[in-house]
Amino acid sequence: MCGILAVLGCSDDSQAKRVRVLELSRRLKHRGPDWSGLYQYGDSYLAHQRLAIIDPASGDQPLYNEDEKIVVTVNGEIYNHEELRRSLPNHKFKTGSDCDVIAHLYEEHGENFVDMLDGMFSFVLLDTRDNSFIVARDAIGITPLYIGWGLDGSIWISSEMKGLNDDCEHFEAFPPGHLWYNPTWFSEAIPSAPYDPLVLRRAFEDAVIKRLMTDVPFGVLLSGGLDSSLVASITARHLAGTKAAKQWGAQLHSFCVGLEGSPDLKAGKEVAEYLGTVHHEFHFTVQDGIDAIEDVIYHIETYDVTTIRASTPMFLMSRKIKSLGVKMVISGEGSDEIFGGYLYFHKAPNKEEFHRETCHKIKALHQYDCLRANKATSAWGLEARVPFLDKEFINVAMNIDPEWKMIKPEEKRIEKWILRKAFDDEERPYLPKHILYRQKEQFSDGVGYSWIDGLKAHAELHVNDKMMLNASHIFPHNTPVTKEAYYYRMIFERFFPQNSARLTVPGGASIACSTAKAVEWDSSWSNNLDPSGRAALGVHNSAYEKQLSSTVNKNLTNNIIDSVPRMMEASAPPLTIRS
Amino acid sequence: MCGILAVFGCVDSSHSKRSRIIELSRRLRHRGPDWSGLHCYQDCFLAHQRLAIVDPASGDQPLYNEDKTVIVTVNGEIYNHKALREGLKNHQFRTGSDCEVIAHLYEEHGEDFVNMLDGMFSFVLLDTRDKSYIAARDAIGITPLYIGWGLDGSVWFASEMKALSDDCERFMSFLPGHIYSSKTGEIRRWYNPPWYSEDIPSTPYDPLVLRRAFEKAVTKRLMTDVPFGVLLSGGLDSSLVAAVASRYMLDSEAACQWGSQLHTFCVGLKGSPDLKAAREVADYLHTRHHEFHFTVQEGIDALEEVIYHIETYDVTTVRASTPMFLMSRKIKSLGVKMVLSGEGSDEIFGGYLYFHKAPNKEEFHQETCRKIKALHLYDCLRANKSTSAWGLEARVPFLDKEFIDVAMSIDPEWKMIRPDLKRIEKWILRHAFDDDQNPYLPKHILYRQKEQFSDGVGYSWIDGLKDHANQQVTDAMLLKASYIYPENTPTTKEAYYYRTIFEKFFPKNAARSTVPGGPSVACSTAKAMEWDASWSKNPDPSGRAALGVHESAYEESKA
Repeated sequence: MCGILAVLGCSDDSQAKRVRVLELSRRLKHRGPDWSGLYQYGDSYLAHQRLAIIDPASGDQPLYNEDEKIVVTVNGEIYNHEELRRSLPNHKFKTGSDCDVIAHLYEEHGENFVDMLDGMFSFVLLDTRDNSFIVARDAIGITPLYIGWGLDGSIWISSEMKGLNDDCEHFEAFPPGHLWYNPTWFSEAIPSAPYDPLVLRRAFEDAVIKRLMTDVPFGVLLSGGLDSSLVASITARHLAGTKAAKQWGAQLHSFCVGLEGSPDLKAGKEVAEYLGTVHHEFHFTVQDGIDAIEDVIYHIETYDVTTIRASTPMFLMSRKIKSLGVKMVISGEGSDEIFGGYLYFHKAPNKEEFHRETCHKIKALHQYDCLRANKATSAWGLEARVPFLDKEFINVAMNIDPEWKMIKPEEKRIEKWILRKAFDDEERPYLPKHILYRQKEQFSDGVGYSWIDGLKAHAELHVNDKMMLNASHIFPHNTPVTKEAYYYRMIFERFFPQNSARLTVPGGASIACSTAKAVEWDSSWSNNLDPSGRAALGVHNSAYEKQLSSTVNKNLTNNIIDSVPRMMEASAPPLTIRS
Repeated sequence: MCGILAVFGCVDSSHSKRSRIIELSRRLRHRGPDWSGLHCYQDCFLAHQRLAIVDPASGDQPLYNEDKTVIVTVNGEIYNHKALREGLKNHQFRTGSDCEVIAHLYEEHGEDFVNMLDGMFSFVLLDTRDKSYIAARDAIGITPLYIGWGLDGSVWFASEMKALSDDCERFMSFLPGHIYSSKTGEIRRWYNPPWYSEDIPSTPYDPLVLRRAFEKAVTKRLMTDVPFGVLLSGGLDSSLVAAVASRYMLDSEAACQWGSQLHTFCVGLKGSPDLKAAREVADYLHTRHHEFHFTVQEGIDALEEVIYHIETYDVTTVRASTPMFLMSRKIKSLGVKMVLSGEGSDEIFGGYLYFHKAPNKEEFHQETCRKIKALHLYDCLRANKSTSAWGLEARVPFLDKEFIDVAMSIDPEWKMIRPDLKRIEKWILRHAFDDDQNPYLPKHILYRQKEQFSDGVGYSWIDGLKDHANQQVTDAMLLKASYIYPENTPTTKEAYYYRTIFEKFFPKNAARSTVPGGPSVACSTAKAMEWDASWSKNPDPSGRAALGVHESAYEESKA
């Protein structure tokens, strides 16, 4: 990933403004630790912080067309850049960077080229010939992007909110895929293509393979769940033929994070052994995680409870991965949205509701898992690539009659059955059967159940009942309903006090990651406010046992207090951080 | 390098204090991007940001003795840690980290073990048995360390000023070669070599002894578990480091892991003298050479960040730090975590051009002593902080304790610049590596005259800086400088400009007092200004100012 910041038409071309833009751009330095660039044209500034993945030697940004009239600052990867280059035979490219094509495509096609790009990207392009500019963000919002307006009439564009929040009067998240992305599934009409396992398999394999494009060392995040295991399995299978393998060796590195003894660590190891990857385990303690919370919220820029819970282990792991010299990882986000993998999908009343919920989930990804995966890794200059969110793969997967995606215990179809089935190859198995058909753990549950208990207990110490009582007055928008949410909100408001900032974060009722609409699927859900996967009661058997006693809120509180000493025991000696 | 922060005896030991310490420790994260740790014992906090060079897998800090009653947070490298471990047979070590010996040495020897450490280090050690603590810094101050005092009676230590400047009422840089003990509350010097008294030594010059001492200094610095390289400006010092490193690399552990071809790095404006000189040396040594070109605009854009990182407004240091800062980012982006660098040679051997004017060997020697003692304020500060800004570690073989002892015991008559005997500056060092049978470097490089770092990257760099400062600072501002900055008043627009940036980041009185001042020509101490009456008229600290000494620069500066 990289970090981009653009200030357009600020009526100020002084040195002081330049210094200010440089200073703000530095707030995105974690995203691109390798080099920085600033282009100034009159009162417009395009800044860039680079993480060099493709062409590290010469691809510094901003990038230009031949006569340097068109300037572009990009965060992202264009997987089909070689093909696009070939389609521009009369253009001369200055660098080997995959993003170099953007300026040339614009020259050739004007503004209507964005749909030709296959990848994840956010960019700002300035055409100095008529002082016009365009801004675009990838289809799903895998890369983050914010837009803001200054009092001086300037328009600001930034990869992260922290690049513009102090200087804009108003700002918001830049909508993904805006003005150019219009696939058939977007209308939410119910598709009818029959399920063909091999078509789905091939589409996903293609999505993974195109993401192996890199000039630097990489690996896969492997929690041992279905999605990450499939990613790892396909990567391991196809790595040998790639350019990356020639440079960095054909053995795949895989990474897993968890509290000691957590379900993910066990599952990740099992898959790694099966695939023969070089597997790295990172253990963190609840105290490590709590100590990182402020940093996590600053980086991921949300107060959404599930996102913070899940981001923290990923954030800690990313630092360790980066310290090993790895700059890019492939990750499994998006599968649950496309296939309805969340446990609450068990209660979907019919295929229409099921399908619409998956569409809503995909459209909201940029506020949740994309935001988490991108910002938690970018905090340490690590790039996350998400093959499930490949444009073509989504088209294939979202075109399948949703009847096939429905969870049908009577036919032994558990969640994401069509994906599992697509990779159920008897002759050359991708994964052992019991892993292929293993039931879901949500990320923050899988790292160890005591992680969430520890967070709740910690929040309990910092937020008292009186604060909760007044919560709706202090936070009238998206009022926190749990102490944990209140605690995160306090930290968020400290870093991002503007009204615009809190509006960038979604809210509303939710059960185990559902949209507000899907809460209607089960009347009992509205009584339980915990967004963890465990809350979708009666669905995941192993978690159900533990949670049973706490269905009533009062019991839940007792449970939390009980868990305090347990948490302390886990990190001996008390209050020591060790990885 | 790593970043350390320790706070002792704060009245408040609540969670919010813990959060505050974590927040402050994050300001040092550039020094140690790989992991962080915090140990909290009652009202004492020891925080650490780690750059993993030795034992990346298990050496996370803080480190402990066997029963965890002694806790230590260290920034540095202990080159003789294996020998020291062998001397501690009855101790059990938990990690492979070179710094772990410190906890065990303390257990064995009490506070008097610091002189046993061979390396560069700053550390803080807490003994929970009697709640006492010590802090110490290496002999020359290769690693930075600051000490501060809070209004609540707390004592603070930090690798960089930025971690404690907001929370301490008073602070200062921790003197190199010193140790602080909470038992006495005193800072005393543990480093006490013969040269420290500035008496004139009389050992005759033996080229082979000097050569061997330097080779040893370089080879012990090849201890690493991660990829490394050499900063190569093409001048004498860096070329010698590269020549020795590439000669001995084959035998080192590092070569087995990372290949035996040495990586070298050079920075400069396009067409600069350093780039040309370094390429020539790299070709000769067959290293994998990387050149980084920067533009004056890129350098100017980086100034604020440079001053924030290196924490000084000293003009020469800012000028020289900026290219090094830019280059460090590029080096780190290649996956290299450690570099060897040539700092210290000019101080030890009197390599600066103004040494031409030294009136006699006594003055010459005393000036070298003063220069070495001040290194922690200048080149050590620059080399350490401009690399650490990007999580890159710089190791400086010329500042090896044993090498300094050897070099500073030589009769300074030998170091004197004697055109009549064809002895240019640093002649004894050049001569020591003048090996006809197995040459380290081609003769013309071995006897090439000095470029100062900020000159070598391209003469237009300094001119560009001056132009930029002239645009930002008006005559009226400079006229009032003594009222605005009564302490260390800037006398040039460039100095004024750096000062305004510094004050923005570090507004406290204590901060500006950490930076040295006083008259200087081409890096001389104030004392040496007396060597030539004409110097006091030209306040430019560039090497070019030592007029009539460097022939090629003289022409240009006359124009």
